[in-house]
Amino acid sequence: MTPRTCLIVDDSRIIRKVARRIVEGLGFEVDEAADGSEALAFCGGVIPEVILLDWSMPVMDGMTFLRRLRALPGGMAPKVLFCTIETRAERIAEALLAGADDYVMKPFDGEILTSKFAEVGAV
Amino acid sequence: MSPDDFDRLQSLMASRAGFRLTRDRMKLAEHRLGPVARREGFETVDAMLGSLWARPVASLGWAVIEALLNPETWFRRDRVSFDTLGKELLPALGKARGGQPVKIWSAGCSTGQEAWSLAIAAQEAGVAVEIVATDLSQRALEKARSGAYTGFEIQRGLKAETMLRHFDQAEDAWIARAELRAMVHFARANLVDAPTDAHQFDIIFCRHVLGDADPARRGEMFDNLERRLIDDGCLFLGPDEQPENDSIAFRPVAGRKGLFVKSPAALRRVA
Repeated sequence: MTPRTCLIVDDSRIIRKVARRIVEGLGFEVDEAADGSEALAFCGGVIPEVILLDWSMPVMDGMTFLRRLRALPGGMAPKVLFCTIETRAERIAEALLAGADDYVMKPFDGEILTSKFAEVGAV
Repeated sequence: MSPDDFDRLQSLMASRAGFRLTRDRMKLAEHRLGPVARREGFETVDAMLGSLWARPVASLGWAVIEALLNPETWFRRDRVSFDTLGKELLPALGKARGGQPVKIWSAGCSTGQEAWSLAIAAQEAGVAVEIVATDLSQRALEKARSGAYTGFEIQRGLKAETMLRHFDQAEDAWIARAELRAMVHFARANLVDAPTDAHQFDIIFCRHVLGDADPARRGEMFDNLERRLIDDGCLFLGPDEQPENDSIAFRPVAGRKGLFVKSPAALRRVA
């Protein structure tokens, strides 16, 4: 069986590293992108099953990426989990309305991320 | 903490709370008792225990016991159980009760996440329920009653959408909404105490509690749960937990790990 795939989009190398370790522990093959534009280029080739997405990033932010992703052929398929330091209820609602499947407030840990993956049916 | 202190703690936990304090929890016990000693005005944990053994004061004894219980819990822990409840059991039971609330007991609710998860499942199923949530620890119950959780706690097990629908944000906390609060009543109860009234529930959630029970007390704790459950009522345990081996009171439900149904009294008498 081919491993499931997850793209981690965050401008912080440290967050990417931490998230990668957790997501790999869930049996995923992980790729990384440092902003929305890099992520979009990646998704033009192959669309991952799960995307962990930061909101505020240089070049292209997470919200812009999400809207463009959902407009791509096959772009509705991936489970998108926002993962950001933005914790205001209105902003969370805005992200869900824009098509995110779930939302992780930083800081997070392995247990939180694992439960989120389970809730969206990714594991 | 001396080995003698630990032995005494072990027997205190077993006799008063039915809790098995395993030897590998010695370091943890010392760590957890530090704040209790400070709160109670003792220089050290040793000094506090010395005082407790010399002159057992109930309030100090319970403060020590509370600190040594296992408070681990999170929202929708073993999520399949909540799906079974919300999608299968509650719709059927709600219909059978004809609008009368289904009675649920969260036994060993710790800081309340299980009780709120039950309330959420019921609300989303559109079925009226009355939830009683009990724990031995007053401190855990205070937190449970507050219904307030940190960002860290709230998102462990809850989807953001569910969180937004049932909790209000206040500063750094997420607080259970009034609709949820109206469904849950919190109270202190000790599972080793036999029921003193005839109140019974349709469904009992008692997960990850009896796994920590002292083996010598586990049987009576199960008996106490059984007496609180109606015939054909459902008992949810942790997915890897089961009633005592010789129990004929509960039969497992195939394909539903941790779910047991209480055999009717007539059947039990025949057996």
